[in-house]
Amino acid sequence: MALSTHTTPSGFLLPSIHSAPPFFTEQPNQSTHAHLTEKWIHLILTYARHKRLFVLRVEDAEVPGGEWDEILRNERINRRILPQYLSSLMAIMVAKNLAVYEPSKQTRAVLLYWRLPEEWADVLHSWATATGQLNTILTFYEISDPPIQSPLSGIPIPLLRRAITILSRSNRAQIIGVADGEGVRFFVG
Amino acid sequence: MNMHRGIGLAAFDKEQLSQRFAELSSELSKTQVDNLQSQLTQFRTALSHFATTHRDSIRSDPAFRHAFQQMCSSIGVDPLAGPMKGGWWAEILGMGDWQYELGVQIVDVCVSTRERNGGVIEMGELVRMVSKLRGVESGVITEEDVIRSIKTLQPLGAGYEVLDVGDGKKMVRSVVKELDADQAVILAEAQVEGGWIVEAILENRRGWTGERARAALENMLLRDGLCWLDSQDEHYGQVYWIPSAMRWDE
Repeated sequence: MALSTHTTPSGFLLPSIHSAPPFFTEQPNQSTHAHLTEKWIHLILTYARHKRLFVLRVEDAEVPGGEWDEILRNERINRRILPQYLSSLMAIMVAKNLAVYEPSKQTRAVLLYWRLPEEWADVLHSWATATGQLNTILTFYEISDPPIQSPLSGIPIPLLRRAITILSRSNRAQIIGVADGEGVRFFVG
Repeated sequence: MNMHRGIGLAAFDKEQLSQRFAELSSELSKTQVDNLQSQLTQFRTALSHFATTHRDSIRSDPAFRHAFQQMCSSIGVDPLAGPMKGGWWAEILGMGDWQYELGVQIVDVCVSTRERNGGVIEMGELVRMVSKLRGVESGVITEEDVIRSIKTLQPLGAGYEVLDVGDGKKMVRSVVKELDADQAVILAEAQVEGGWIVEAILENRRGWTGERARAALENMLLRDGLCWLDSQDEHYGQVYWIPSAMRWDE
């Protein structure tokens, strides 16, 4: 019985460790726990990048049918990661600055940093420059949900706001109040 | 008749005779030694020629290599001793390098899988992974090659050792901690199942008591980090998985 990789319906290649039943149990031995946790975190972030998922919730381990099923469950071996373990993984990711609790003051949902806010800032500014939108006012909505797919499509507003704040520190952006929300103006940087 | 002189003469003769014998025997030895010397030189030349001609086959063909090594053992020569010990041999065959390279690759695989399997790896998996490291062109590596190479690693003092866990199964241990007898049994039984084990198997197949099985498994899990826990098993509830007895396809 060989443990092998497996390609999911969405085209993601799962590592062979995902076929091992004990991978879905939180390990009592400290060094084994550290080793497998590292594998889980890497898997979660890689999958998030693949499917452009920004948010992970404890609920994703509680209720089937969500966007994370391909990772959090393995129907072929009848195993799933339990909510307690997922919650513990989320806490570790937050501690390592690979995610933040969003909204703050709760621990059931995290915003994943498969790209750091600093990197998002650069992507954002490059996009604004490339599309000739410097010096014009854009609403947050226009950035996260543009008519044409962009590298920023689907970015959660809290993450977008963080990226813009980073740009404003180097005078590459300025937040502006607009009629029904928030807007931003980008400058040459 | 002078008896005294007769004796004296006889004595003189005896002395002369034994001296002659002495000279003769040293002459014989010298001849023998000369012969031996010349034979050895011939032998060395022939062997040198053989080794150079067949060096590539020795490196790339495990069956040929095996036969060559058998021949060397039978005449009391170790061709795979490193440059320090082998000297001439190592130069002629270049096997010192080959051996050293294999040793480094074995250490590489053991160290890189140690976190996963606690420092114990199944021989088949080790051979597979080393072969992958080496690539196809460098020729097939056999279990025998790996075992011989591990012997040369012993002076490292890092605990590299081949363990026979019964039923023809071998494991390679790369940490200093000894594998106790009960753990060896658990490893063997886990291999039969494809990597997993529970107390019930040890009780039924080996006649262990529940306490003995539980204690051994818990130690392997918590103290030694040699196995992983699966707490979602439909039949047994809690099952122990031993990475070194699992077959990984990567």
